[in-house]
Amino acid sequence: MDRRRFFATAGTAAGTLLHMKKSEAANAKEGKEFVGVLVDTTRCIGCRACEVACSVAWNNFVPDVKNDNALDHRRDTSDKQYTVVNRFKTEKGDVFVKRQCMHCWQAACVAMCLVNAMYKTKEGPVTWNGEKCLGCRFCMVACPFDIPKAEYLSWNPRIMKCHMCYERLQEGKKPACVEACPADALMFGQKRELMEIARHRVYSHPDKYVHQIYGEQEAGGTGWLYLSAVPFDQIGFRTDLGTTPYPEYTKQFLVSVPLVLFGVPALLLGLSELSDRKNEVRESEGWTETGADE
Amino acid sequence: MEYYTYVNIFETKGLEYLLLMCFFALFIYLVRYLSGPGKKDSAPRDGSAAGGRMKGAGH
Amino acid sequence: MNTTAIGTSEFNRVASFIWQELKPRGKWLTPFNVISIPIILLGIGILYFRFVYGIGFVTNLNQYYPLGIWIGFDVVTGVALAGGAYVITFVVYVMRMEKYHSIVRVTVLNGLLAYIFYAGALTLDLGRPWHIVNPIIGNSFGYNSVLFLVSWHFLLYMLTMALEFSPVVAEWAQLEKARKFLSGLTLGAVIFGITLSILHQSGLGALFLMAKPKIHPLWYSEFIPVMFVVSSIYAGLSMIIFEGTISHKVFRDLLAGQDHHRYEEIILGLGKGAAITMFVYYFFQALLFIHEERWELITDAWGYWYLLEVIGLVLIPCFMYAYAVRNRNLGILKVAAVLALLGIILNRLNVTVIAYRWYDVDKYYPSWQEIVVTLTVVFTEIWIFRWIVTRMPVFGKRR
Repeated sequence: MDRRRFFATAGTAAGTLLHMKKSEAANAKEGKEFVGVLVDTTRCIGCRACEVACSVAWNNFVPDVKNDNALDHRRDTSDKQYTVVNRFKTEKGDVFVKRQCMHCWQAACVAMCLVNAMYKTKEGPVTWNGEKCLGCRFCMVACPFDIPKAEYLSWNPRIMKCHMCYERLQEGKKPACVEACPADALMFGQKRELMEIARHRVYSHPDKYVHQIYGEQEAGGTGWLYLSAVPFDQIGFRTDLGTTPYPEYTKQFLVSVPLVLFGVPALLLGLSELSDRKNEVRESEGWTETGADE
Repeated sequence: MEYYTYVNIFETKGLEYLLLMCFFALFIYLVRYLSGPGKKDSAPRDGSAAGGRMKGAGH
Repeated sequence: MNTTAIGTSEFNRVASFIWQELKPRGKWLTPFNVISIPIILLGIGILYFRFVYGIGFVTNLNQYYPLGIWIGFDVVTGVALAGGAYVITFVVYVMRMEKYHSIVRVTVLNGLLAYIFYAGALTLDLGRPWHIVNPIIGNSFGYNSVLFLVSWHFLLYMLTMALEFSPVVAEWAQLEKARKFLSGLTLGAVIFGITLSILHQSGLGALFLMAKPKIHPLWYSEFIPVMFVVSSIYAGLSMIIFEGTISHKVFRDLLAGQDHHRYEEIILGLGKGAAITMFVYYFFQALLFIHEERWELITDAWGYWYLLEVIGLVLIPCFMYAYAVRNRNLGILKVAAVLALLGIILNRLNVTVIAYRWYDVDKYYPSWQEIVVTLTVVFTEIWIFRWIVTRMPVFGKRR
């Protein structure tokens, strides 16, 4: 860490301590507000153009959309594809749901990573850095959405997951899947704006949508947001994840670590002194000061 | 969908304190049990009785 | 000039001494050797395929079960069973109970080897093990990570235990000055080591705090770290009793000078400690049972499995320990130790593997290769342990 970065970090830390709200507002002004994507499952036509665009953009396995009949069975993202579309038969007909990394506001995988290989960028995407990764796969344990996937059959495995086309975002482009969507089911933007659009759609069509925006609160809030015509548990979403950001579950432990390191050695040293027979004052010596000095 | 209803998150506290009282009672019993059968009887009479007993069991 | 010459001759002496000591001793065709040598060779072969073709080539791990028995048994369980080292150093160096002094060396050696091998087994499971130095060198500190703490604590604790054991090595190599210097550091090392142990024993539990939706609610609670520390105390004590029993059979000649009666007193004392710890641990479990309102969950197979662990392999061995201590019954004491160890193994495997994603239809189960590699790790550790205790004054007796 060079000196400038150190001061920057120290400054940020101090700023966080002193006035957290203010620094959040400052981040927002500098254009560092989190971006995300709003997925309107009522608009998705299941063409899987997003799957193809994603795989083409990142050199992954490109599915043969016309012939592979992949919609007939449930699929999951894999070490070969960052995103997949599934079909669900519901009371309101076929519903197509795109699945990829949710880009949590406070991501469990990022908090779990001991080398910052999983990294939450200031723009919002959660990225993975193979130069740092140990391949311990605890990100996969931590992720409540089961998104990170490991290349098990490689001597040098990568952790494969959507990174919201972070490189494209930096060039000012949209994620590849959003750009490819012919049905306007995907909308890219800042989460704040997307939330307003999503609420607007729900309130102006109260019969068309369930009154929940998946990702607003789930696991502490995610970058990707979903609208649906049917309850979310019917289209493959876990609804038991809670609204607590996952890193909060380890926060108490992480705070107690320095507490233990401060307190326990002193306690043990004290116990050791107490149990040391050499320190006992013999009765004949009494409570004199000279006795204490020895 | 959000529901606003009251949930008492400390509902089990009373039971927990009951368990605590059980624990204290049983813990005292366990510690007394562990301190062995011989000692309490023999200690007032003769300190070496307990020692002799231990040696006997050892061989 | 003169000092260099002395240094060189000293070095030559030590080098030729070590060369002598490296040669094998004793009989070759023991049952243990006959079983362990083929398994170790097979394990090494499997590891070749694992490093060339990937972890998936030899294990049953998949995208939903990223951790198998290499982590769940070797690392998480192995470290819990190695808890004896911090408990015994606490008793001897902090509480100064001299009664237990004679087992300090062997317990610390066991702990050190367990950490080297079982925490070392972590590298077999890492996808990119050559990046293992990343959390140590400054370019990528993940301060926010429990795993970061655990890895640092592993490293520091191994160094601490090496320091605690180093006087024995110095005595073996006949370096009297070094032995005196290293002995002086023991109390500091012990205090630091106990603190680190508390933190990484709990840290291993804290690793699974974020897996909340994936671990069966009977095993998940926000207090996993506390439960892991408390259970590691009796796991360590039970392991000392278990391991001591075997050592007394196998290394009988090394222990010839020792008073057998005194050894009995020691393990009965350990059993007493284990009984009390298990009793407290059982009540911790009962408190969680009430706090998390788990009674709704114990009517299915998972519930019975939970009761087997908590009552069958915690409460019952606890009572057996108490009975054995009161009646000075070593047979029951040893059975209690085995049951308690089984309970620990079951608990750690439940959290990491068995009750992890309990809702899945396709559960993970270890492949035969994973089991062979696990046995390889265990057997190699025993080989090294045997090499050290037959050469160094571990059991408190110079050759």
